[in-house]
Amino acid sequence: MIRLHRIKAMLLNYYYASINSLDRIFDVVYWPLLDIFIWGFMTHFIQGISDFNIINVILGGIVLWVFLWRSSQDLVVYLLESYWSRSIYHLFVTPLKSAEFVISLAILGLIRSFIAFTTMSILAYFLYGFTILQFNLFHIAMLIGILILFAWSLGIFISSFIFLLGTRVQVLAWSVIWIIQPFSCVFYPLSALPGWAAKIAVILPTTHVFENLRATINGLPLNYGSLLYSLIFIIVFFILASLFLGYSVKKARSKGHFAKPE
Amino acid sequence: MYALKVSNLRKNFKGKNKIVKAVDNLSFQVKKGEIFGLLGVNGAGKSTTLNMLCGLILPDSGKIEMFGKDFFKHEEELRSQINLATAYYTLSSSLTVKQNLQVYARLYNVKNASEKIKELTEKFLFTQHFNTRVRSLSSGEKTKLVLIKSLLNDPKLLFLDECTAGLDPDVAEIVRDHIIQYNKETGCTIIFTSHYMQEVEQMCNRIAFMDRGRIVKIGKAKELIAELETQNIQIHFSRQIEKAKKILKNENIKFEMPEKGVLSFHIKNREKIIYPLLEKFVKAKIPFDDLHLNKPTLEEYFIKQSRKK
Repeated sequence: MIRLHRIKAMLLNYYYASINSLDRIFDVVYWPLLDIFIWGFMTHFIQGISDFNIINVILGGIVLWVFLWRSSQDLVVYLLESYWSRSIYHLFVTPLKSAEFVISLAILGLIRSFIAFTTMSILAYFLYGFTILQFNLFHIAMLIGILILFAWSLGIFISSFIFLLGTRVQVLAWSVIWIIQPFSCVFYPLSALPGWAAKIAVILPTTHVFENLRATINGLPLNYGSLLYSLIFIIVFFILASLFLGYSVKKARSKGHFAKPE
Repeated sequence: MYALKVSNLRKNFKGKNKIVKAVDNLSFQVKKGEIFGLLGVNGAGKSTTLNMLCGLILPDSGKIEMFGKDFFKHEEELRSQINLATAYYTLSSSLTVKQNLQVYARLYNVKNASEKIKELTEKFLFTQHFNTRVRSLSSGEKTKLVLIKSLLNDPKLLFLDECTAGLDPDVAEIVRDHIIQYNKETGCTIIFTSHYMQEVEQMCNRIAFMDRGRIVKIGKAKELIAELETQNIQIHFSRQIEKAKKILKNENIKFEMPEKGVLSFHIKNREKIIYPLLEKFVKAKIPFDDLHLNKPTLEEYFIKQSRKK
């Protein structure tokens, strides 16, 4: 049975780890701020030579992308950290379940995502007059929700590989999200991709989220069919990732990965 | 009812080109309130056994029962009643001592956690490190912290893996006293591994000697030591040591000279050999200054068993 007090204990663990380390706090806002500066200035420049409302499209993409990025990456990085510090040894002697561990990581990722999102939103407003709040909030909330669900599924999927193969596959924590990004049409429409890339992109739920984001920004109606596809895709992926997690944890225990974390 | 009952436990690991039998058909029982020692050379299977008993490693086959319940069927319930301390792995290094203990107290759902933490840190003379980050502690202090963590949930079954390794002798003694006291006060069952034989001899009610994943001997320390057939004797001579050596050679007794003027040898039957031997020294007018009959120790038993291997 999932116990709330153990999830709270893990969140307390991450909270202490965060307040004890400046770089962890810095990390939440540093990259998003850098993104806002670089992309913001670039789009500001392009805006000057184009009629297309590029600022809203690019900044909207960046601000929403942070949910996918932080929620999935933080989930895996904090899991990795328990391997690096070898504290996973003591954690798994307690009644803590792998599901509770992953739920706490997912909540942590979500909190960090919202901090990054808020920071970016404030900065984007003051620098470029852009605010995500100017669009249909129900639509935006729905799109964010779908992205978070996908980020968690992806995080669980990558974590399962870490459980299964150990820290030798830790590069996945940082790389997978950036492999997905070009095909997710975060900054450009699906139609801008070459044929082979579009075939991959159309499968990804993230593509449909960002296509719908652009529709919302341009005041167009949402394509509920494509969003429903995204949701079904994510639910199936979430179930498969959770099953994979269960299998990986069992394998990790069988191989003794928790007893000799490397 | 046993606190711990292990039946036919097996664990193999895949090596590069071979299967390594880490634990091979292991069975033993530990009574409630007992301090049970697991001894063996490196690679004997002690740590793998301990890790399986804590649920960190899944066995290939066999059964682990704690307080009459199947461990893997009642894992959540039983995990909250056990704990482990090891010198090999510490707690989160970026957190302070207090923060780590607070996290683990919550994981174990300890009531009055702050009081419990205070009580334990005071008992182990650790309050001065309360706000120190774990990474700044010495290895001995880290071990002590893990030991404090292991008592947070008042475990009924406690696994102590080399828990005094790296501690200063005086601190190790405090730790040992606390463990024994805790065992007496709470009736907690303790499974104990250590490389310090004197410590095992002092603390454990029973000892299992492991070799290649199996228990080769199990019993009280005294019983194991009694199996040692030979006893070490040291005689100190101030002069005429060459004559004494000659007598020993004539009696076919192999001897060593650990230091100048001292002959050391092992004999099987003390009564039958030592008195006639001493008579011969007297008759040959070889004066000796001192004679030590060294009691056999668990360490000697350990060395003998290890050499057998």
